[in-house]
Amino acid sequence: MTVINVTLPLELIKDINDYSKIINDILKHDISFNVLKFSIISSGVTLLLDVPDDKIEIITEALEENNAIINKKGRVKIDFENCIDCGACVALCPTDALYMNSENRLEYTEERCMACLLCVDSCPRSAIKEE
Amino acid sequence: MTKTYAEINEKIKNGNVVVVTAEEMIKIVEEKGITVAAEEVDIVTTGTFGPMCSSGAFLNFGHADPPIKYEHLWLNEVHAYHGNAAADCYIGCTRMADVRPFEYGGGHVIEDLVAGKPIRIRGNSYTTDCYPLAEVDTELTIKDLNQAILCNPRNAYQRYVCAVNSSDRTLYTYMGKLLPRFGNAHFAGAGALNPLTNDPDYETIGIGTRIFLGGGIGYIMGEGTQHSPKSRFGTLFLKGDLKQMTSEYLKGVTYPKYGTSMFVGVGIPIPILNEGLAKKTAISDNEVLTDVVDYGIPRRDRPILRQVSYKELKSGFVELNGKFIKCSSLSSIFYARKIAETLKKWIKNGEFLLNPPAETLSTETICKPLKQISELKFVKDLKKKAIICYDDCDIKIVAEKIIQNNMNHIVITNRAKILLGIVTSFDITKALAQNKTELKEIITKRVVTASDNDPIEIAARKMRNNNISALPVIDDNKKVVGIITSEELM
Ligand code: SF4
Ligand code: SF4
Repeated sequence: MTVINVTLPLELIKDINDYSKIINDILKHDISFNVLKFSIISSGVTLLLDVPDDKIEIITEALEENNAIINKKGRVKIDFENCIDCGACVALCPTDALYMNSENRLEYTEERCMACLLCVDSCPRSAIKEE
Repeated sequence: MTKTYAEINEKIKNGNVVVVTAEEMIKIVEEKGITVAAEEVDIVTTGTFGPMCSSGAFLNFGHADPPIKYEHLWLNEVHAYHGNAAADCYIGCTRMADVRPFEYGGGHVIEDLVAGKPIRIRGNSYTTDCYPLAEVDTELTIKDLNQAILCNPRNAYQRYVCAVNSSDRTLYTYMGKLLPRFGNAHFAGAGALNPLTNDPDYETIGIGTRIFLGGGIGYIMGEGTQHSPKSRFGTLFLKGDLKQMTSEYLKGVTYPKYGTSMFVGVGIPIPILNEGLAKKTAISDNEVLTDVVDYGIPRRDRPILRQVSYKELKSGFVELNGKFIKCSSLSSIFYARKIAETLKKWIKNGEFLLNPPAETLSTETICKPLKQISELKFVKDLKKKAIICYDDCDIKIVAEKIIQNNMNHIVITNRAKILLGIVTSFDITKALAQNKTELKEIITKRVVTASDNDPIEIAARKMRNNNISALPVIDDNKKVVGIITSEELM
């Protein structure tokens, strides 16, 4: 699964019909995906979608036809060679994708990462990179 | 029951010494009681591995031919301090590289040196009759140095605070990245494993104490800078031969938007000379207390929000005003434990003997703040009257007020003077150009504010960082009590 960050600019959706059309254009391809985050910001609506790797192209096309802005966000990668198990990233992770195991070593569950990228600039060893 | 250093060392040599880590000691005392534990256990080992900014190393390069007296000196582009004799220098871990600041610094140079990597040395000189060479540019490894001495004026804090952030923006600090509105909490230090925590009255710790330092053997030179025993913030001045250390326990780090530092591994053996020490070394995370401090207030004396135990800190959450905030450590508990275990192994194998300090650390030292000659000025001293319009007023009235008062910023409030937004003369011009007539269409609602007791420097930094020229001054209830603009700061 890959996380994509979709922005529906303010002008694009004036009412619920516009919104439904965009979502229906995706759903007609019969793909199941997860909505990780739905937020309204000053420039429009942003969605974080967790999409199966082989369906990314179809979804991207369907969204781009509707003028949505797509930004593929990778989940993060941890360079365990450089990690010193300090924990500076752990309290920042909203989904517990980064956590300390019973031995106090850092563990990372990629599936739980929703690519918020809050952790990236917290690591004193530059061991967290956006994919 | 009492034991002496000589008796304990004899046991080390005979191979029948009993050494446990500070964490293991807790259980032993719990199960067997203090008297038996003091009888049975000879040494308790401790450990900590965290960022220690007051760290660095003295290096001696040997003389060039012809000789040079360095004036400026860079190791892998990190400026080293050179105020000593010709071929000595001090490389400090927070000094950042000229070319890659916030990426590489003195701590990384020390890590690379210890790892055996080649380091580029570049230096220049004003030249003298005895030191005629003007420039050096060479590469060397730690083996090529005459001396490489880790020398850290302030390490191994007895405990440290837990940092949170009440402000409405993300802060990048030496306590890591702190999310706004109490989004997370960070603490440092290993709690019950921390060296000074296990001998809080410094009965066995002092000048000359042999310790684990950076994976090798080091010594305590005395109390560290800002040593503050009465508030249980004791510190240590440490030294050791870098040549026998390992890069596993000396790691250069960089905190984004703060700067570089170095993780230093420190472990101290505490000899159980009497029952009192058995009791003290059995201290648990539950009993090591520290303060939760609000780093959102940029002052020396930041507000203390509550007391908290290391047990709660290590649980992953701290409670604040009924809410649970995600909490994590900045120092590695895994490596702290590994250091205590390694030191234990060294002693068991007879490779490490204990020695009494020449003089124990002071329990009296007081840590004073900086004496500042110029008086600190506050926002309340320099603010002026804010020109206020209510949110239901006409744009035209706002424009008139700008002209009448010769002010660029009009503060928008409700009838109770509670801050709602700000409008600048530029916003009015823009409204005119875009045919906007409603005040609410042009008002900026996300306003950066100041409060009466903010030092002027803080207000200036807010303006600089946000690229703005005025801050409404508000009280705790968001009521507008004035405005401070860049003009007052000139
Ligand atoms: S990107 Fe966000 S969700 Fe993913 S690991 Fe980092 S903090 Fe956690
Ligand atoms: S902040 Fe970096 S070094 Fe520390 S635990 Fe996380 S990934 Fe590892």
